[in-house]
Amino acid sequence: MQLEASDDDGRARMRRSLQALATDKSLGVEARTRCSEAEALLAPNDDLEVLDAALVTVGQLIEAAMMADAAPPAKAKRATPARAVAVVKAAARVVAAPAKPSEPPVTAAPAAVTPVTAPPAAKAPVASTGPSAADLALPADIDLEILGEFILESRENLAASETALLALERDPQDAEAVNTVFRAFHTIKGTCGFLGLRMLTGFAHKAESLLSKVRDRVVPYSPECADLALRAVDLMKEMIDDTERAKDGAPLHAPVTLADLESALIAATEGGLAAAVPSAPVAAPPVASAPADAPASRPSLELPVARASVELPAARPSMEMPAPRASQEISVVTDQPGAQAETSVRVRTERLDQLVDMVGELVIAQSMVEAHPTVQDGAEHDLNRKVAHAAKIVRELQDLAMALRMVPLRPTFQKLARLVRDTSIKSQKQVEYVTAGEDTEIDRTLVDFIADPLMHMIRNAVDHGIEPPAERAQQGKAPRGTVSLSASHAGGYVVVELRDDGRGLDRGRIVRKAVERGLIESADGMSDADIYALIFAPGFSTAETVTDLSGRGVGMDVVKRNIEAARGHVEIMSEAGQGTTFTIRLPLTLAITDGMLIQVGEERYIVPTTHIHVTFRPEASHVHTVAGRGEMVALRGDVLPIVRLHKLFNVATPVTRIEDGLLMLVGDGERRTALLVDRLLGQQQVVAKALGDGVGRPPGISGGAVLGDGRIGLIIDVPGLVTFARTESWHRRTPVANRAIGEPLARSA
Amino acid sequence: MTTVSTPAAEGGAARHAGKFLTFFLAGEEYGLEILKVQEIIGILPITRVPRAPRHIRGVVNLRGKVIPIVDLRVVFGMTEDAAEETCIIVVQVRGVQLGIVVDRVSEVSMVTAAEIDEPPSFGAGVRTDFILGIGKSQSRVRMLLDIERALSANELAELQSAVG
Repeated sequence: MQLEASDDDGRARMRRSLQALATDKSLGVEARTRCSEAEALLAPNDDLEVLDAALVTVGQLIEAAMMADAAPPAKAKRATPARAVAVVKAAARVVAAPAKPSEPPVTAAPAAVTPVTAPPAAKAPVASTGPSAADLALPADIDLEILGEFILESRENLAASETALLALERDPQDAEAVNTVFRAFHTIKGTCGFLGLRMLTGFAHKAESLLSKVRDRVVPYSPECADLALRAVDLMKEMIDDTERAKDGAPLHAPVTLADLESALIAATEGGLAAAVPSAPVAAPPVASAPADAPASRPSLELPVARASVELPAARPSMEMPAPRASQEISVVTDQPGAQAETSVRVRTERLDQLVDMVGELVIAQSMVEAHPTVQDGAEHDLNRKVAHAAKIVRELQDLAMALRMVPLRPTFQKLARLVRDTSIKSQKQVEYVTAGEDTEIDRTLVDFIADPLMHMIRNAVDHGIEPPAERAQQGKAPRGTVSLSASHAGGYVVVELRDDGRGLDRGRIVRKAVERGLIESADGMSDADIYALIFAPGFSTAETVTDLSGRGVGMDVVKRNIEAARGHVEIMSEAGQGTTFTIRLPLTLAITDGMLIQVGEERYIVPTTHIHVTFRPEASHVHTVAGRGEMVALRGDVLPIVRLHKLFNVATPVTRIEDGLLMLVGDGERRTALLVDRLLGQQQVVAKALGDGVGRPPGISGGAVLGDGRIGLIIDVPGLVTFARTESWHRRTPVANRAIGEPLARSA
Repeated sequence: MTTVSTPAAEGGAARHAGKFLTFFLAGEEYGLEILKVQEIIGILPITRVPRAPRHIRGVVNLRGKVIPIVDLRVVFGMTEDAAEETCIIVVQVRGVQLGIVVDRVSEVSMVTAAEIDEPPSFGAGVRTDFILGIGKSQSRVRMLLDIERALSANELAELQSAVG
């Protein structure tokens, strides 16, 4: 069916549907612009010739919109809004053959339309030889939300391809791995092509070309090729990071290695790897057909980014368009997205936290109901049964909510595989990386705490722990060293173990260095564990040579700090010549704390059980005073300082004699301290919460938790409290630093 | 034709005209810009936080969230008498939620530009910089609070008392 320039009704219908498409949020920005341009062209006009010309342009515009259907990339993830496409198709059929194709449309078109006149058939990939000025800025019409999603997705894709590349190195025949990488590159290329990120599109295209050759077995996956591909991944990561910064207004940068790597990729793709010496300048790239070019050749309509589930109500009325076949298509295509529904959903983390908070609230509310006298009486059987039923559901809900926050350690472990590979190549060692228990789950927030420490420790293990192959052979070990990383659950903790079979820690040298640096006076009476723990001291390094990988003594103290910040701890075991094992224990989650509820005067506090060694009722004869003031208690041969919690926190209490209260032994090593409390109220799991900004950071308090009666109990920060008690002098008034509400406040003069 | 706006409507205290939530504290009536107010809740048991700033009475559990409670009596240097407190007004100041304990919440009333006077000056010793203006309507006088300023002014007072 054709639309004649004189057919006013047909034109009006056409306009309506184009209008609907132009406001359809499920279409890309570009597509919508094209549609509204086309719509504007169809405005009533007395001059039939002008209208004819306009129809030509409209046809082209709609054709451009149809490209979306033909573009395969990323279809799996973001199914094209089939309905919209169908509408556009239908529209295209209407305008199929313009009356006077030769007529230059520019005459009729408003100024805004001019850039669209080029045929959208420019399928040739954009392959500019170098970044032009236009490449160094984000397209003006870019949708920031889509860009953000793209960045997130690309990072995942790159991480997946990195893993696949490493797997490929082990087994070059792994077709699935090649495909994974290929798909990842392809998706990135497609999406950023749509977004108009030309530099990245071009680069991803070249990387993809190489991979396609590998896939088709034209180019073998040699170590050089692996290197090249991994470097390409790195560079893309860098560019993605750069793009993210550009999102906030910074300009895009062309990475310095971009040109080199691009030519190396092309060379590798074209003529095998012999020619792929990165520094060698490469003759004209094979696809330099369209250098930094008119916007028209941008694959602008490639990908209307939208989820298929988004309904297109605006497009519905246009179904009355004279295109029955089109509507059939719709019903077929719309079924598809359902079939390939996603198995996971991205949820904003704050929403998740909110959910966990609310569930915590629910648990407390439930326990309040259970504590109600009527329920406690047990006289109302029916009520009791219902309450018990609700309690069961609430408990299950709580478990479920907590599980939502858990993520497996696999990605963390996989990232380290790359580190082992690179470090071992740099330090010319042969290292096997073995992992176990990657599916062990850990609270999302704890992953960040553990990632950095593991990186430092692995680097150390490869660089210092594992011996060079020759040395290993001398000692009768296999030339290939092993670094193994395993994770498991044990008693409410996640245990991560890093083991290497290298030379082990040198006790003698650690002692020498520690004495040299004045950390200890002598090693007399120190256990191996105490000695090894010295390597966690800031700036401590026994490495004879400082390599660019490690040995500067920065790192191990960070390791310890990070792990302790997550309320975990780390232990070292080592045997000379046999290797070293680091064992990290982390709580399953930071959200729930196992605490001991204590009472001081009228107030209640929670002490995390992990910090409590023992609680005992002191005998008067065991309490000593030093210089009439400092109180000490003798316990099994140790003499420990006593901190009166009621004094430290200014609480009025009848329990002022030490033997009337309880002493709670907390802290480690030098910081072991006995806290005087009135009594213990019992053990309780609590959900730790921040106190809110207005309160500042009171010393010795880490946060609050809602107790069974709905009131807030404060959680004691044991290390902070011990430190505070030591520095606190009872006679001096300590200025209370008050962090103001929110940001630093503008002070009035 | 140009419109000449009256100086009163242009700058000064009058530009704060709008809706205010009024409340009583120690027999005096105050107004709080309604847009800053999130909700009003009955008084809850407050958990004292040892060694927190003096104007922080403590923290409460607001539906699972821990929010600090500010004692305006301390901020204004009044004698502390919590006996008459019945309500907590939850406000949002620079993205931070906090509660203000008050004796009684009065009403939401519209204060027009014409009804607002510049804050008076009492000379040294009496801080007035956290008062937006004085609202006088229906023969009542209300101090319209600049809650952000009131809390920051207190920060200074706190430091002063700590040093002196």
